[in-house]
Amino acid sequence: MSVWDAVRDWGLKESDYQIIDHQAIKEITLGASILATGGGGDPEIGLLWTYKVLNEGKPIVLVDPMKIPDDILVASMACLGAALVLTEKPPGANVLNGAIAKLEAYLGNKLQATIPIECGGVNSPVAYAAAGELGVPVIDVDGMNRAFPELQMTSWVTHGLNSSPTVSADDRGSITIIDTGQDNLLAETICRRVAMAYGGISWIATYPMHGKEVKETSILYSQNIAWAVGKAVWEARNKHLDPVSEIMNSLKEKRNVKVYSVFKGKIVDIHREFGGETTKGFTLGRITMEGIDEYKGGIAKLDFQNEWLNLTIDGCIRCLPPDLIAILDSETGEPIRTDIMKYGYRGTIILIPAHERMRTEKGIQIFGPRHFGYDLDYRPVEELCADL
Amino acid sequence: MKNIREHDGLRIGFDVGGTFTDGVLVSGTEALAKAKSLTTADVTGGIVDALDQLLTAANVQKEMISMVSLGTTHTTNAIIERRNLNKVGIFRLGAPATTAIPPLTGWPEDLIQAIGGRENVFIIRGGSEYDGRDIVPLDEKAIQEACQQIKGKVDAVAITGVFSPIIPDHEERATHIVREELGEMVHITQSNRIASISLLERENSTILNASVINVMRKAVSSLKQAVADRGIDTRLFIVQNDGSVMLADYAIDYPIFTMASGPAASVRGAVFLSGIENGVVVDIGGTSTDVGYIVKGFPRESSITVTIGGVKTNIRCPDLLSIALGGGTIVKHENSRVYALGPESVGYNLVRLAKSFGGPLLTVHDVGVAVDRLHEKLEVFHTDYVVDRQKIRELPNDLVEQADALIKETLETAIDKMKTTAEEVPAIFVGGGALVVPRDGLNGISQVILPKHFEVAGAIGATIAEIGAYAEGVFDLEKEDREKAIQRTVEQAKDNATLAGAIRSTVEVIDIEEIPFTYMPGKSEKIRVRAKGKIFQETI
Repeated sequence: MSVWDAVRDWGLKESDYQIIDHQAIKEITLGASILATGGGGDPEIGLLWTYKVLNEGKPIVLVDPMKIPDDILVASMACLGAALVLTEKPPGANVLNGAIAKLEAYLGNKLQATIPIECGGVNSPVAYAAAGELGVPVIDVDGMNRAFPELQMTSWVTHGLNSSPTVSADDRGSITIIDTGQDNLLAETICRRVAMAYGGISWIATYPMHGKEVKETSILYSQNIAWAVGKAVWEARNKHLDPVSEIMNSLKEKRNVKVYSVFKGKIVDIHREFGGETTKGFTLGRITMEGIDEYKGGIAKLDFQNEWLNLTIDGCIRCLPPDLIAILDSETGEPIRTDIMKYGYRGTIILIPAHERMRTEKGIQIFGPRHFGYDLDYRPVEELCADL
Repeated sequence: MKNIREHDGLRIGFDVGGTFTDGVLVSGTEALAKAKSLTTADVTGGIVDALDQLLTAANVQKEMISMVSLGTTHTTNAIIERRNLNKVGIFRLGAPATTAIPPLTGWPEDLIQAIGGRENVFIIRGGSEYDGRDIVPLDEKAIQEACQQIKGKVDAVAITGVFSPIIPDHEERATHIVREELGEMVHITQSNRIASISLLERENSTILNASVINVMRKAVSSLKQAVADRGIDTRLFIVQNDGSVMLADYAIDYPIFTMASGPAASVRGAVFLSGIENGVVVDIGGTSTDVGYIVKGFPRESSITVTIGGVKTNIRCPDLLSIALGGGTIVKHENSRVYALGPESVGYNLVRLAKSFGGPLLTVHDVGVAVDRLHEKLEVFHTDYVVDRQKIRELPNDLVEQADALIKETLETAIDKMKTTAEEVPAIFVGGGALVVPRDGLNGISQVILPKHFEVAGAIGATIAEIGAYAEGVFDLEKEDREKAIQRTVEQAKDNATLAGAIRSTVEVIDIEEIPFTYMPGKSEKIRVRAKGKIFQETI
């Protein structure tokens, strides 16, 4: 199968797709890691895989979601499991081939494209690498336009779709089909157990859906949003501009949203709750930042569960999930991640309104403040920061 | 190996820098002689020159010399210059996993060619899961076949297995097979002896290690010869990246552990000379300043990847922040407005180009002279610290003040970035440029210590006879008691220190680190223990 068959069969014009090269995937991954709101882990493995695919001359093409046929079958391809295991055990180049074949057999239909699941560290480039290996296009959407820790936390679920059936594979060729119907929480639990049984990492083909559903339930053009953010940082570095304000401009342009730059400081305390792994399966904790420059004297506190969850500045709540929090290195624009942050890191905190498709009533139920254990109603960042 | 001596006598230490090689001869805390020579292209020449200076300056009984030790850049230079590298056979034990990113991905092409190219690369079926299972059984036949292909074409072999730092069995089996097929002359490096979890970086480190075995072997044998020729009968040690030392014969197998030998020796020297065991070390040279952090007497390790010759590695290196601030750093200004410090430096052209010597450029050294901080002769250059006083007097006050404030702020920011707590900590200033920069009223610093012999702290650091070692493992705390898991790792670290030359009874734990696995239910975590021990029964 070649990606150009799809381009021809769907009658795409040149303006309907973009060809992804080394620089493009670098920028998309950088932008996605900023939107990953502190989580997602190190994208390096996914990036190197994508480079290998490109170096082998396999084309990777990003397609406008509104130009795809309504009746084609697509699915998300991602890795799920422990980030530390992934750094020690990168995938086999064909790890997803078996999973795709099984999913196709189960559904009785051919998969014709991939849809990235999130803007995350490793899963962003993985979507491109997998598409390149399989010879299918990437559709310019995702299910979050940020990163979240669990499989069910997508705009697809909040709009009535399900992750089932999901096929989970390992490098030995083991295949597990998880079909829990509409119980998306159970699917997440089983997927994580399967990943453990495999040895800590699994490779999944999930959220099979049709072109029409992609258009109706995804975060549209999320890849180009991430790309614009990454490109802004890249250009800021080359032209010695302020990366933070360039990121804010790019989001204003791409999504027409106001981004709030609310704090600049350095990390003075990190409290990790080590028990969190046993009870919830995640790294939990809180950091404290002390203000510098114009924020001198201020104190910011952020909770994290792999991703940043909520932000309080001088006792005022300024951001709640699913709105996005990013801490950016003031000089490089590189995001500060929860897994590698240290005392003394300096950064600027920016807040980005979540996409409208993430802010539905069902969305707030699945990934709003109460889901993460806060006795608080969701209030949008625009309201929480109205006085700033 | 000789018997371990009961008492230490005289020690000789060298620190090979980019421009100069420093040498010291110490007895206890006393430096009997100091020497400085120009660093030579082959490195060894500069060391031998400094050694002769020391022996001439101090009339000592050669049988009293109990160790010769050096911080060296032999291997770093060889990799950076792609010079005299071994041809390396590369085996990864990990298929069917890991094939998406083959070995040598991201390496500079000239370095790949210098170690023999891609045709000596094999991904073999094998490797382990983190819990000890095989990914698949090791494909021994494939290893034999690969050996037939590379026979006669390689000098060394690098073997890297998935999860080998926890379960080294496949690497050890593969080593055995390669040894049988290729014989004793081919050197084999196993990744589990080199670095920890993170396959690609560990594999890179292992390949680089294999590529400089002969460079290190040659350096060690020529230095041993030079020492023996001068009638000195003693053991040769090399400083490793954590600032401790290892026997030179042990270093031949692990040259990669000497990549950051120089800066690590400076940190250890600073600790030794000042007696401070926790705080900041600021090593100020001619072109740059390295800021390091000491924890219990050893440099804190970097938690990020270290790039050597364009290749990402995960070898244990000191966490150092290098900033463009040294005695020769150029202060950029427009009339009396300062707009930048460096990054350019006049280097050893200081005495030609800096204002203090009648030159055209304003340097950090000149600022030190203008604010009346410098009073010492520049031994290195055989000159006074200022020759052209008139040029310094002509500098506008405003310019000098701004420049000095910027130097101070640059130092303070670098120090603050390296601190791990908000509390004030002591700072030890060492290096040839230590006198040039401000030392009073630095933010975040409780006191600045300028120890005796600060200018040769690196060479002194090389003479400190302490062995460092570490051990790590991944444990499932639902199956294994946490205390017992830690105890097991501690014992392993102590065993490793003993192997590297320490006296077992002197080995103590430096720190214990626990890192939980994220995105996984369960209680798996990585435990990592660092230990140190002494070479001599009694040390000062």
